[in-house]
Amino acid sequence: MTTDQFQTSCGCSDYDEARTALSRRALIGTALAGGAIALGPSLGGSGPRAYAVTGRPATRLANPAGSVLVLLSLRGAADGLSLVVPHADPTYYAARPRIAVPRESLLAQDAMFGLHPALAPLLPMWEAGTLAAVHATGMATPNRSHFAAMEAIEDAAPGSTARNGWLNRLLGELPGVSPLQGTAMGNQVPTSLFGTNPAFVVGRVDNAKVAGTEEDGRRLASLKHAWKGTGPMSRAVRDAISGAETFGAARDLPAGQPATAYPGSGLGKALSDVSRIVRSGVGAEVITVDQGDWDMHTDAGTVEWGEMKRNAGDLAASIAAFFADLGPAADRVTLVTLSEFGRRVKENDDYGTDHGFGNVMFVAGAGVRGGRYYGSWPGLANSLDSDLLVTTDYRSVLTEVVTRRFGVSVAQVFPGFAPQAVGVMA
Amino acid sequence: MARNTAGLLTPAQRHLVTRFGYGVDATLAEDVRRAGGASAWFELQLTRPGAFPDGAAEGVRRWWPDLDRGPAELWKRQVEEVRGGWEVMEDYGRWLLVRRIRTRRPVLEKMAEFWEAMLHVPVSGDAQFTWRVDYGDTVRRHALGRFDELLAATTTHPAMLIFLSGATSTKRAPNENLGRELLELHTLGTGNYDEDDVKASARILTGHHVDLWETWKASYVEEDHYRGRVKVRGFSAKNAKADGRRVTEEYLHYLAHHPDTAHHVCERLATKFVRDDPPQSLVRRLAKVYLRNDTAIVPVLQALVASKEFRTSAGDKLRDPSEDVVATYRALGVEVGRPRSGDSGANAILWQASGLGLSPHAWPRPDGTPVRNDVWASPARALGSMSMHWSMAGGWWPTAELDYRTPSAWVPAKKPIRFADLVDEVSRDLLHRPASKHLVETACLATGCGRKEKIDREHGLYQWGFPRLLAAVLDSPDHLAC
Repeated sequence: MTTDQFQTSCGCSDYDEARTALSRRALIGTALAGGAIALGPSLGGSGPRAYAVTGRPATRLANPAGSVLVLLSLRGAADGLSLVVPHADPTYYAARPRIAVPRESLLAQDAMFGLHPALAPLLPMWEAGTLAAVHATGMATPNRSHFAAMEAIEDAAPGSTARNGWLNRLLGELPGVSPLQGTAMGNQVPTSLFGTNPAFVVGRVDNAKVAGTEEDGRRLASLKHAWKGTGPMSRAVRDAISGAETFGAARDLPAGQPATAYPGSGLGKALSDVSRIVRSGVGAEVITVDQGDWDMHTDAGTVEWGEMKRNAGDLAASIAAFFADLGPAADRVTLVTLSEFGRRVKENDDYGTDHGFGNVMFVAGAGVRGGRYYGSWPGLANSLDSDLLVTTDYRSVLTEVVTRRFGVSVAQVFPGFAPQAVGVMA
Repeated sequence: MARNTAGLLTPAQRHLVTRFGYGVDATLAEDVRRAGGASAWFELQLTRPGAFPDGAAEGVRRWWPDLDRGPAELWKRQVEEVRGGWEVMEDYGRWLLVRRIRTRRPVLEKMAEFWEAMLHVPVSGDAQFTWRVDYGDTVRRHALGRFDELLAATTTHPAMLIFLSGATSTKRAPNENLGRELLELHTLGTGNYDEDDVKASARILTGHHVDLWETWKASYVEEDHYRGRVKVRGFSAKNAKADGRRVTEEYLHYLAHHPDTAHHVCERLATKFVRDDPPQSLVRRLAKVYLRNDTAIVPVLQALVASKEFRTSAGDKLRDPSEDVVATYRALGVEVGRPRSGDSGANAILWQASGLGLSPHAWPRPDGTPVRNDVWASPARALGSMSMHWSMAGGWWPTAELDYRTPSAWVPAKKPIRFADLVDEVSRDLLHRPASKHLVETACLATGCGRKEKIDREHGLYQWGFPRLLAAVLDSPDHLAC
């Protein structure tokens, strides 16, 4: 089951339990299917062995100490005003009489901001200085279409018609050679990774193999022959084959058991797999992960109940478990959250918010100057239309991450963009 | 199922019935021949689908009795932990998949699938499961009718109201979710409206209500309806009455007949049924037909199929995950029986589709199952397809209540057959086309057999290697593209 889900939900806990059960059951079913397939009888011994047994290439990270960027997309447009609350802006409480997060419940408060209480699992990282937030970020102009905004923010090259996402352009600047250099967790290549450089996509690490290739190389040889062409599927098949071959070390590595456990959510499972990929050193340097369900037009709720509490709690517990699980590898990994746009300042009549503009970005892990809030606060207005205005282009935050961690030139990754200094990365 | 050994349809005929069907098997080929060719078959499918008796597909619905329970009963059973809504939604996906395997009315089925994806209410959601089967049935009734009627039936359907927050939207602070996606996804398309249009659209739609978490009854609540002048693009209404349903009707009628809607709908049709990035000249032509015919769908499909762009697009579309699964069952001639356990093929087929990336209508976002190839041309999809083809070719999983054919269906009992001829037989049977030289080469690599090698029932290929041949055919572009 994909984690990329928009939400529509009540706030009642019974139903939320049923939903969790749904996800759980669906995953069990899928796992069962995978296991059953593996039980198919061996075909070994048939015909001449004309092809070499498929080996596991020794491709590894060009630089085992190299950096890894995890881009975590909060799909559906997260409400940054609930995640990082501007408690000192009186308009916030006036505009949200029912869903505002009370000041006394906020964590990690400074004079202006505080974290949603459901983010408590991240407090140790905040206090250790490995987690920061940049507020009032986004694109230069509002775009309230989920689909157009996702394309624009992930392509990140306004005016260009080339279908190359910013992470795909980043791949082009990195020296590595692994077919897993750019890896997406899920089923589809996200726009950010789409482009001329190969991208591997994987649902679950354990499934990232070509069925029927255990005995000899015949199936792979026939697949390569069948898909010699230049079309997108030919490329996907070839990337699948080379990626799955390289992926062996990650499949062989058992899942970590961090002291703070992963939630059973799709995000928790995905980040657990990302940790395996990173720790196994198979050469993944840019990894994308999605968390859905942020489109909270109804039942975002309060600190006691609702989608915000649930989603924020899942986000925080998953990230906390991920960095704990990475162990020493955490020194190489920087995680950034990004959403296609933010929500409006004023709440609607359904304990929710409609499509807006500015948002918050979290930056966590290696190289982060954490424990503080960045960005310039524009102040809020309380009308039906009012938005959190964008004072920091999201590309400025990403620029700091990629230039400081990968030493690449911003001109290639964000063509024509002149970044402003944010200060979030050392 | 009988082997597909009768004469092949011509390539042009095969193209039409493949693009608008779920894979050519013997029954479909016979239907086409009896109708007097693919064009005549298509015309009948559009205008008189009842001419094709479909008992085998219709009867499948009884396998999953929850599909015919009402919203209140489904909810009661969920609360009382008799059966979760998510399980009912799984049944819905299974029903669709098995129906698509069996149906002799693939054009109706395909169009129901198309509209259900465009006017999308995901099955993997929350409250809307109570109304979701009824929603699908509603779409199916209009699938070959008129878009204006389809739009009216779907926009105010309880499932859509629940999914896009219309069910609880009120005049006090109208929820913009449905009003916006109606404009962006269902009618005018991105960039053809502004934020004031969204607000007015949301205001018009206030008043439509569903009693969530209680009776699940739909009603119209006059005191929730926003009153006062509303304007969306060229649509304007005084909207003075407490009952705004008439304004909703007029608004949806206006949207359905808007040239931007015509373009948006026809572009999606052409993307699905012709090719990705279809020529704008074709889209414009289809949009004209749509408007000239008062949003009737059949003339648009007739024009689409008659176009040069369609005729020259054979093989340009990649089957999506569900299409791949259904086509694989049809190609292999696997008989699906009534499920008796969770592991039965008719149940497990849903995991097969999700293993390829998506089960029917489970796309989590309101934009619905994508109709472009590039979304599905991913390494994860490739690995999923190869895994499913491999297990089906061997008949290893699923197995319960399924009947697979064995190699004896292809390898003659008495006289040996040359390997290249055998590949040709298998290709004609599975794909309804002769084996290309490329496919024969692929099959040689897959099995280790030479082109002229004689295959009989003592041969290793027959004894235990046959899944390699079937998988090579199913893994090929000849099967994955349509």
